[in-house]
Amino acid sequence: MQYTNPITMARPRWRSRGLQARKGRKNRVDINLTEDQRMLLESTGKFAGDRASIQQFRRIADRRAEFGRADWQEGAAQGWVALFTPEAHGGIAESSQGLIDAAIVAETLGRVVYPGPFLSSCVVAAAITAAGSDAQQAQFLPGIAAGEILAAWAYAAPGPRGGIAPGSVSATQAGNTFTLNGTAAYVQDATDSDLLLVSAASDSGHSQFLLPSKAPGISIEPLETLDLGRKIANVKFSAVQAGPETLLGNFAAATAAFERQLQIALVLQSAETLGVIERALEITLEYTGQRIAFGRPVASFQGVKHRLADYATQLEGGKAAVAHAARAVQSNAPDAAIAASIAASHCGRWGTDIVRDCMHLHGGIGVTWDHDMHFYLRRAVSNEALYGAPLVHHGRLAALAGL
Amino acid sequence: MSTEHLDTEDQKAFRLKARNWMQGRLPPRIQGEPAMDWEDKALVDRDRVIQRCLWDGGLAGIMLPTAYGGLGLSKRFSDIFYEEAAPYRLPWHFGNAFNVVMPVLIAHANEALKKRYVPGILKGEQIWCQLLSEPSGGSDLAGVLTRAEKRGDKWFLNGSKVWTTGGVEGDMGLCLARTDASLPKHAGLTMFAVDMHAPGVTVTKLRLIRGNSDFAQEFLDDVEVPEDHVIGEVNAGWTVAGTQLANERAGMARGWHEGVAAAVEASEITPRQSYLTLARELGLADDPLAREIIGELIVIDAVYELTTRRVGNGMRTRSLPPTIGGVPSLMAARTDVRRTALLSALTGPTAVAAPPGSSGLDNGFMRVCTHRIGGGTTEMQLNSVAERYLNLPREPGPDRDIPFNQLRHNALR
Repeated sequence: MQYTNPITMARPRWRSRGLQARKGRKNRVDINLTEDQRMLLESTGKFAGDRASIQQFRRIADRRAEFGRADWQEGAAQGWVALFTPEAHGGIAESSQGLIDAAIVAETLGRVVYPGPFLSSCVVAAAITAAGSDAQQAQFLPGIAAGEILAAWAYAAPGPRGGIAPGSVSATQAGNTFTLNGTAAYVQDATDSDLLLVSAASDSGHSQFLLPSKAPGISIEPLETLDLGRKIANVKFSAVQAGPETLLGNFAAATAAFERQLQIALVLQSAETLGVIERALEITLEYTGQRIAFGRPVASFQGVKHRLADYATQLEGGKAAVAHAARAVQSNAPDAAIAASIAASHCGRWGTDIVRDCMHLHGGIGVTWDHDMHFYLRRAVSNEALYGAPLVHHGRLAALAGL
Repeated sequence: MSTEHLDTEDQKAFRLKARNWMQGRLPPRIQGEPAMDWEDKALVDRDRVIQRCLWDGGLAGIMLPTAYGGLGLSKRFSDIFYEEAAPYRLPWHFGNAFNVVMPVLIAHANEALKKRYVPGILKGEQIWCQLLSEPSGGSDLAGVLTRAEKRGDKWFLNGSKVWTTGGVEGDMGLCLARTDASLPKHAGLTMFAVDMHAPGVTVTKLRLIRGNSDFAQEFLDDVEVPEDHVIGEVNAGWTVAGTQLANERAGMARGWHEGVAAAVEASEITPRQSYLTLARELGLADDPLAREIIGELIVIDAVYELTTRRVGNGMRTRSLPPTIGGVPSLMAARTDVRRTALLSALTGPTAVAAPPGSSGLDNGFMRVCTHRIGGGTTEMQLNSVAERYLNLPREPGPDRDIPFNQLRHNALR
């Protein structure tokens, strides 16, 4: 970012090389990329720069523009969701590295605080690919992958400690139809959605349903959000009648499927947070390197540069954690659940800590509306809390480790 | 995990040679036996024997040039060796010699020194140590006060070195000394290869807070060093030290004891069972706070481990720059501090006062400063990451251009 300080009108005297990698390569979530992944990184980066830049995001945050269906279709047309859908339904799952590739996309989108329903679409597409009948796959997958069907995943219980298990939506069976009651909270991208993947708890195990967002008995109540690029809603189910064709997989047999969806969501969210941290840190390196105080660049003071070094270190830790989690989840490794929660905890905690301090290190200018940093902070704080806050993951990790 | 199926004919032959030689000759790797313990002389001496055994079997110095006694083979052969060596103890007390001294000798030493000392290490005859830090300072390494004076065709060293890992067992040392105090501090230094058994070298153990003595202090009183034992050029010691420190960082990043654990990218995260055992012993298995603490311990351990792997792998494959080498040390320091805090939160008073004979008093507090001081203090690592990796502007300092003898420094003794 070519940043001119509006108060001092200072021009850059020193240029950050940013977070370095060898020979013009980028130090991103995964190192040693394949040729395909390099191309994916490049095309996504170009898209983010041209079609979804932070300047464009600002127009949305200022409510001078809306992020609409056409915008998401443009993104989806890049093949991001197709990473999770089979070739038979227009996807590229067989020839890609699925979640590992998607993490590269998520990180790149985090750099511009991308507002589209990327994570939700990926999770729902992966769920349908894993458990959907032929009819369900044919009906939904091509549309989701193309961005024509907006999908959201409804599962969490209201309150501070949810996010890692199906919450308060219940499903009861009568013959071959089902009745859904209760509330799914904090449903990302539900507001404008066409399709809901609902994870419900029942006495005998989790069950999942694919329901039109406008089905009778479903009410979607948008929430105010800290993150200006996220639409989050509570979804209420009152005596919603779900026919057998809406059941995804078998009744009361979706516990493992739910866990896998959670892991995918955690990896993508953590990867996005990496992009948020990375960009916030780059902006801060640039600014503190050129901003002069007491006759020297602010970043030459150890009180400042040591903090930046710590943040670069923790960011590197986040990349290591997310890269490992993406591989573990993609290959269904025995440590997939543990790896996903570790990534979520580390990125959640450090995302907030680092971006908050990036704001701080800008001094007054950082807390003005016209500076971009608050967009990054809002996304970081929001990502820390959704899909289970770090403390919730710590409890989950103790259980996963066998305590 | 064997990669035998990838072997070419040559590689297969090497693999079988290694396998057959080590079988029955090398001691087994024992779970829980420390990789290094400089106070366990028997363990150190056994490593000398193991190194000699590898030499006798034609398995020493796999990637080193044949001119100096190595095998001149590629990394692939080294990987094969470590696969085959997995069941055995390896000579890990030679870690310093292989990680640091070898690359320094190869890069900077004259032919005579290389021909003499590289095989000396390969044959298990010499354990090397690094004589760098001094009582007057460690982080400010270029400020060393140990002086070397030339009389006739010999150098004479006077001063004191400290925090020498393995100093008591050392046979040779790389010693940084000041040869011209009228030059600015970085410009008047020279690196010497010093015989630790030479007259005038006195080695004493340092007793640390846990009662252990991993480090030594050396006093150099007119220690005679032959002229050809200068490594690199006279007054170019800082360049040599740069190679030395870069290799130390790289060695730490890729895993100091090669072959201890094949730090392959794919290996799984396994939470430490000791945390779970501790929680159960304390009766806290169902305590929500305790469970959250244990969850965070799992996170920080794993992130440290994964970071070390990532950076090591990235530096090896050259997808990450060498300037990132300070990151794992910094992560280690931060992780250690947080771990002690979490363990204290878990154990409360039980870890500060317990019946006689109890183990586990301390939660790591008596160790926690190790990573924050050794190999450069945390503050030095922060500077390294900030200035070298992030390329941030340097702190202005008065010491770069002024002749050393006009600078303020701590007294010699």
